[in-house]
Amino acid sequence: MKLFEYQAKEAFRQCGIPVPQSVLACSPGEVSGAIGDFSMPCVIKAQVLQGGRGKAGLVRVVRNEKDALEYARTLFEERGVRRILLEDAVDFAGELYLAVTVDPARAKATILACAEGGVDIEELAATAPEKIVTQHVDLDRGLSGHHMRNIAFGLGLNGEKAKAFNKVLSALYQAFRKFDAELIEINPLFLTGEDTFVAGDGKLVIDDNSMSRQPGYEITRDHYDHDVEYEAALAGIPYLQFDGDISLMCAGAGLTTTVFDLINYAGGSVANYLEFGGPNYTRAVDAMELCLRNEKAKVILIVTFGTVARADVIARGLADAVARFRPSIPIVTCIRGTNEEEAFQIIRDLGLTPLSETEEAVQRAVDIAAGRVS
Amino acid sequence: MSIFIDRSNKVLVQGATGKEGSYWTKHMQDMGTNVVFGVTPGKEGQRVEGIPIYHTIRRGLQDHDADTAMLFVPPAFTKDAIFEALDAGIRKIVTIADGIPLHELLQIRSAARSCGAMVVGGNTSGVISPGKAMMGVLPYWIERVYKPGRIGVMTRSGSLTNEVTAEVVKAGYGVSTLMGVGGDSVPLTRFAEILPLYQADPETDAVVIIGELGGTMEEEVAEAMESGAFTKPLVAFIGGRTAPRGKRMGHAGAIVTGSKGTVEAKVDALTIAGGLVARKPSMVGPMLHELMT
Repeated sequence: MKLFEYQAKEAFRQCGIPVPQSVLACSPGEVSGAIGDFSMPCVIKAQVLQGGRGKAGLVRVVRNEKDALEYARTLFEERGVRRILLEDAVDFAGELYLAVTVDPARAKATILACAEGGVDIEELAATAPEKIVTQHVDLDRGLSGHHMRNIAFGLGLNGEKAKAFNKVLSALYQAFRKFDAELIEINPLFLTGEDTFVAGDGKLVIDDNSMSRQPGYEITRDHYDHDVEYEAALAGIPYLQFDGDISLMCAGAGLTTTVFDLINYAGGSVANYLEFGGPNYTRAVDAMELCLRNEKAKVILIVTFGTVARADVIARGLADAVARFRPSIPIVTCIRGTNEEEAFQIIRDLGLTPLSETEEAVQRAVDIAAGRVS
Repeated sequence: MSIFIDRSNKVLVQGATGKEGSYWTKHMQDMGTNVVFGVTPGKEGQRVEGIPIYHTIRRGLQDHDADTAMLFVPPAFTKDAIFEALDAGIRKIVTIADGIPLHELLQIRSAARSCGAMVVGGNTSGVISPGKAMMGVLPYWIERVYKPGRIGVMTRSGSLTNEVTAEVVKAGYGVSTLMGVGGDSVPLTRFAEILPLYQADPETDAVVIIGELGGTMEEEVAEAMESGAFTKPLVAFIGGRTAPRGKRMGHAGAIVTGSKGTVEAKVDALTIAGGLVARKPSMVGPMLHELMT
C-alpha cells in the first residue's frame, strides 16, 4: 500500500528524520485557518498518489496568503484533490536522493543514494548508473558503520555533513524495517546551509502482506482510478478497470493475466480484469456483481482451471449469480479442473455451452463483443 | 530419479492437523509420498491419516527420521516454522503460505541460502513428480495435466500451470518434476537455482518455464543458458505481454516498475539464449516438438 506524502512524513518524524513544519488541510476553510502560522513563501502540495506532481501543477510555492488560498481552492474545486499539505519552504544548499528497497535475488535490503536529488532514479539508473551508490544490507545483521561509510564517502560527504547524513540514513533504515516497507524514499533530501538535512518529499510503500501488523492505514478512493476498483478492493477481490468491452471473471492471477493477453491478440479489448481465485473461488456472486457494474461490458468471459478452486463449486456459484442478477449480456464459460464433468452439467442446465479450450472461449467472447455472433 | 521429491524423501508435515493440512496430507500419501510424522504444537498424541503428530519437530525426530518438510502453516507463522525445520537440519522445505510478510521472505531466503537449504514457495501449489510423490496442493488426479513423463516444469502461477501443462501433455509429453516457485515478489527459491537439478536429471529431457511479467527470474534463466550451465531444450510461456505498466496483475510479483520486469525483456533474453518463447499456451506443445525432434 502506497502512503500519501503526509503519512510518509509522519512516519519519518516518528523515526527521527527531520521534515519541514506542515499542516494537513481538507478544505479551503482549513487552509485559511492554518495559513497564518506559516511564514511566506510556503509550499502547497496536493496529497495525491501519482508521481510527477510538480510537472502536473499539483505542487506550488506561494508568496502570500491570497495566492495560497486561491491555489488551494483550485486544487480542491477544479483538480478534485481531497487533501493538501501546507509546508514551510526549505532554504537549501543542495539536494540528494536516498531510498531503501529490497533485492529479491540477494535477499537483502538495498540502499540507493545519489548526490543529485530531485532525479528520476529509474532514468538515472539507465543513463548514468555510476552516479548511484548502492549498498546491500542483510536484515538480520542490520545496518552497520561500514555500510554508512560506504554510502557517505561514496557521495563525497565528510565531516559534519557525513555525521548528519548518517543520522538520516540510520533513521530511514529503521523506518524501512518498522513500517515493513517495500520502498521508502526521500527525494529530494535537502542539505541546508548549516549542514543539516531535511526531507523535502516522502514516499513509503508498505508491503501488502504486512498490513495486518501496520494498523492505522486504510485504503481510500484515492488509491484507485475507478469507483468499482475501490469497491472491489474493499470486498477483497482483485479488479482492474479498462476501456474495452469484454469483462473477465477468471480464477487465478496467472491465468487471468494470460486471458487478458489472448483477448488482445484476438483483436478484442478488456473491460475489466477480475480474479476470483484462491480463497475467493466460492464468491462468483460477488464477482459477477462487480463485473455487471461495468456498463461498457458486452460479454462476460469466465475462464478457470482450478486446483483447490473446484470447477463444480465455481459453476454452482455462477448458477446462483445468474439466478440473482439475470444478466442481460451473454456469458461465455470455460470452467475446468476438479469435478469438471459436474460443472459442465450445471452450465448446460443454465442453457449455456460449457467450453473447455481457453482460446476457443476467448475467440467466442471477442466475436460476441464485435457483434459477429450473439 | 526425479528432482527435489520422490519416494525416498522422508517428509514431515508442519500444520498437519488443520483442515487443509489433513486433506492434502492424505493426498500426498495417496500419491506415494512417504509422510513420516506431523507437527502441530499442542496436538501431540493425535494421528492424522495414520501419521503421528508431535508438538515440535525436535520431538518427532526422536522417534523418526525426516529430511524434508511440508508446511501447511499460516503466513504469519511461516518464518518461525521454517526456522524450526532449518534448525532441525531439514534442507528441503515447501511452503504454500500465501501472504508471508516481505521482510520475513528476505530473512527466510537469507537463512536458507546460508545453510544450503532449498525452500520452495510461498504462494505456490507445491512440487510434484507425477506417479512418484507430491508436496503441496496439486490435483494429481487431473490426468491431462499431471501425466508422468520427461519434461521438467517450473512455474510462478498455479492456475496457469494447469493451462500450460495440459498443452505439454496434449503434445504427447509428460512431466518429470513440476516445481512451483510461487507468485510472491521474493520467491524463496528462484528459477535459476532449480535449473542445475534439471540439468543433472537423466529423466528430464527438456524444461518448460511458466513465467509472467515482473521481476528478473526469466532473465536469470537466460543467463544460465548463455553461460552453458543449462544446455537442455527450453520452452517458455510468459503471461502479461499486453499488461499495462504500473498495474499489479494479481500476483505480488507481477508488476512492471520502471524499466524492470517487462515481458519484452524476458522474451528477448530467452530467445537470444536459445530458448523458444510461446505467445500462447497452445504453442508450447508444438515448440517442444520442434526442439526435441
